[in-house]
Amino acid sequence: MERIKIALTKGRTEDQVVPLLEAAGINCEGIRNKQRRLIFDEDPRYEIILVKGPDVLTYLNSGSVQIGIVGSDILAEQENFQYAMLDLNVGKCRFVLASTKDFNPQAHRRKIIATKYPNITKRYFQGIGEDVEIIKIEGSVELAPLIGLADAIVDIVETGNTLRENNLQVFAKLQPVNTKVVVNRLALRQYQPQIKSLIASLAKADDQLIQSKLIKE
Amino acid sequence: MKNKNLPSGTRDEFGTEAEVKETIQNKLFQGFRRRGFRKLTTPVLEYSDVFQPLNAENYRPYQLLDEQGEPLVLRPDLTLPVARVMSTTGIELPVKWYYGGDVFRVKKQLSGSYNQLTQAGIEIVGYKGLKADWECLEVALAGCRDMAIENVTIELSHAKFVDVLIDQLDLPEPTKAGLKQALFAKDLSKYNQLAQPLAETPFSSFINEWPWLFGNFDEVMKVVDTLPPIEELKGIVNHLKSTAAFIQQLFPKVNVTLDLSIPSPQSYYTGMAFRGFTDKSSGYLFSGGRYDDLLTNFQNVKTSAVGVAFDVDALVERTSFPDDTPTTLIFFEDDQWQEAEAALSKFANATLCLTDDFEDAKRLAASTNSQLIDLTKAGEK
Repeated sequence: MERIKIALTKGRTEDQVVPLLEAAGINCEGIRNKQRRLIFDEDPRYEIILVKGPDVLTYLNSGSVQIGIVGSDILAEQENFQYAMLDLNVGKCRFVLASTKDFNPQAHRRKIIATKYPNITKRYFQGIGEDVEIIKIEGSVELAPLIGLADAIVDIVETGNTLRENNLQVFAKLQPVNTKVVVNRLALRQYQPQIKSLIASLAKADDQLIQSKLIKE
Repeated sequence: MKNKNLPSGTRDEFGTEAEVKETIQNKLFQGFRRRGFRKLTTPVLEYSDVFQPLNAENYRPYQLLDEQGEPLVLRPDLTLPVARVMSTTGIELPVKWYYGGDVFRVKKQLSGSYNQLTQAGIEIVGYKGLKADWECLEVALAGCRDMAIENVTIELSHAKFVDVLIDQLDLPEPTKAGLKQALFAKDLSKYNQLAQPLAETPFSSFINEWPWLFGNFDEVMKVVDTLPPIEELKGIVNHLKSTAAFIQQLFPKVNVTLDLSIPSPQSYYTGMAFRGFTDKSSGYLFSGGRYDDLLTNFQNVKTSAVGVAFDVDALVERTSFPDDTPTTLIFFEDDQWQEAEAALSKFANATLCLTDDFEDAKRLAASTNSQLIDLTKAGEK
């Protein structure tokens, strides 16, 4: 039987998802000791590749991989047309509008907003009937209001520590973010039984993870 | 200056690939003509309003303005122009058209996808009955067979099934809308949450399976059989069953599947829809269906219409390219033109060698791995 190819977002998502994949019975030894490898075929049913988040949909849309595991932040930013079938209880965080404490969200002027996520930012401000100028930043978005590049930022926060350490505060909470399992529309038809059982075992592993977290707390 | 670049999403096609594509198109066209279909060619440029019924997400067109400032598009689809022709020319019904050409859809930049796609297809206008649907299926599946494409799966669906069933559910309207959206997006997490109130109803076993209600025809039908009797579904189910039987009888090698969990391909679809793929293709080979509302964008009177279009590029992708057979070069003097023409017609895969010098001809033959026929006998001198 042909292997199912999974594109997994490398970095934090990978660290959080690998235990889930293992709990779902997938051999992830290779990923745990990966060195410089990017393709992992220790489990005979799957070929897992590690890619950057924004590239997951590129691979998925072209049909080069059948399944992607990626944050909902990236799906929302890139406008996903594939099936986001399963919400995982990992990678949970939230988009916020943040700035220095003297920022006035009600100020009557066209604000300048720095972000890594211009589409999400545009949609949020359109939703509240405001037009803003968006500056796309590739990293360390917190700097922008501190250095005077922008009036405020739209970014993802998990604990809020980075914001606090940089003397920034939250002015509005936007949409929540979590990790999702996304399936190519045609691949779902070509590999229906395999994908169905993978989704079921991942959902079960995810439930167990929640239960064990609840018990710990 | 951008005189050396192609716009993003476009490509040149040459050599074997372009030739295979041409052969496939010609084969399809000949097949359509043999069945008595007539050719309909529409322009690449149309007013943007013609395509207003299309779901804008997947059909983002290239836009420009005409000299009066009216928005024009490079056609993103070939079916709606047929509807425009039908509603404005008073052509007598019924009629069977075939068409072929390129459609243009702007996709995400730098994603490796192409914005210019080649299609070839048919439209049968003015026949209400299933026979018209079946002729489309026959054309689609016979087309794949003639291209020697194996392991074809055909997926049947129905534009009205989901709406009819959702209507039966005892849920508030906003929940129904949310459930439908989650079903179509296969967002299982949200779907399961919204479907919870139906757990104790006669629909429960169907509802549990609904997002997975695609695949083997008989298996899907078994799940449909768990539903309480619904009058409006009877006709739909009968059409699907008799169509599956029709395909299995005429094309026993084709794998017939059913998907009752997807939205109608476009708002104007009214009946059965279908699409074909193989286990390896990264896209659909053909798609089509019945759209009796197609002409309502252009006129008030409903007209029966059903059609199917091949994705010619997908067919090219699934065709094995012929090996480069060795060619023959014919070297000749200016006054030997007739002799050269005679030689040209004698050999398959031959071409005239237009160099003036025999040594150049020899080098060309060596570099292109061709047999060299020397009509001048220069080599013997």
